[in-house]
Amino acid sequence: MNGWLLAAAVTLGGGLTATLWGVTTGPLGRRVVAQNLATAVACPGLLLLSQAYERPAYVDLALVLAVLGPVGTLVFARLLSDELTGHPPRAWWPTWTAAALGTAVVLALCAVTAPGRATVKLLVTGALLVGGNVVAGRALTGGIRGVRGG
Amino acid sequence: MADPVVVVALLLVAGSATLAVAVRDPVRQALVLSVLGVVLAVLFTVLQAPDVGLSQLAVGSAVTPLLLLLTVRKVRRRGQRKGRER
Repeated sequence: MNGWLLAAAVTLGGGLTATLWGVTTGPLGRRVVAQNLATAVACPGLLLLSQAYERPAYVDLALVLAVLGPVGTLVFARLLSDELTGHPPRAWWPTWTAAALGTAVVLALCAVTAPGRATVKLLVTGALLVGGNVVAGRALTGGIRGVRGG
Repeated sequence: MADPVVVVALLLVAGSATLAVAVRDPVRQALVLSVLGVVLAVLFTVLQAPDVGLSQLAVGSAVTPLLLLLTVRKVRRRGQRKGRER
């Protein structure tokens, strides 16, 4: 068991347990934020797993999750806009914490991998993760007017 | 079962599946179900089946919640229309 695997286990175990707790309790806004957070936590976890197993092809999973996770959150933001407009959720510190986690993981992996196509793929994954996370968080808090149309 | 990551992923899958059943409102169930999809993809990755994990991610994170929410919305609208006609 190497350090990368331990880091992946801690990230996935801690982060996903927290999101499970958030997604099953509290008002609807908090649950949607927790669902967004599940993507933002699982994606760095998958990146760490690919490094732990020394299989660069596993980065594809994190890439797909970074693309599709915010799409799922936007689906919720669009279809639940009626319920969410009354009490828009406040999602700033979890969103930025998850973004910081993703950035830290991507930078650590970039430092380890040899520069080349793998580094570019990692950076693209990280940019998609952080960007999609922030966009989805803004859509949930009502920052984007188009989503609120209902 | 010596791998602690496998144990963590299995516990997460068991917990999220149980909670998806325990939550009663369909809209909130859809939220838990999308988290369950992500957790299942992690489990498949840990068990060295990333191809299954990829398809699970594609279906579980966006498509299943979308179908559920669209169904709930349609059923509610039909219920409202029937309520008005009565």
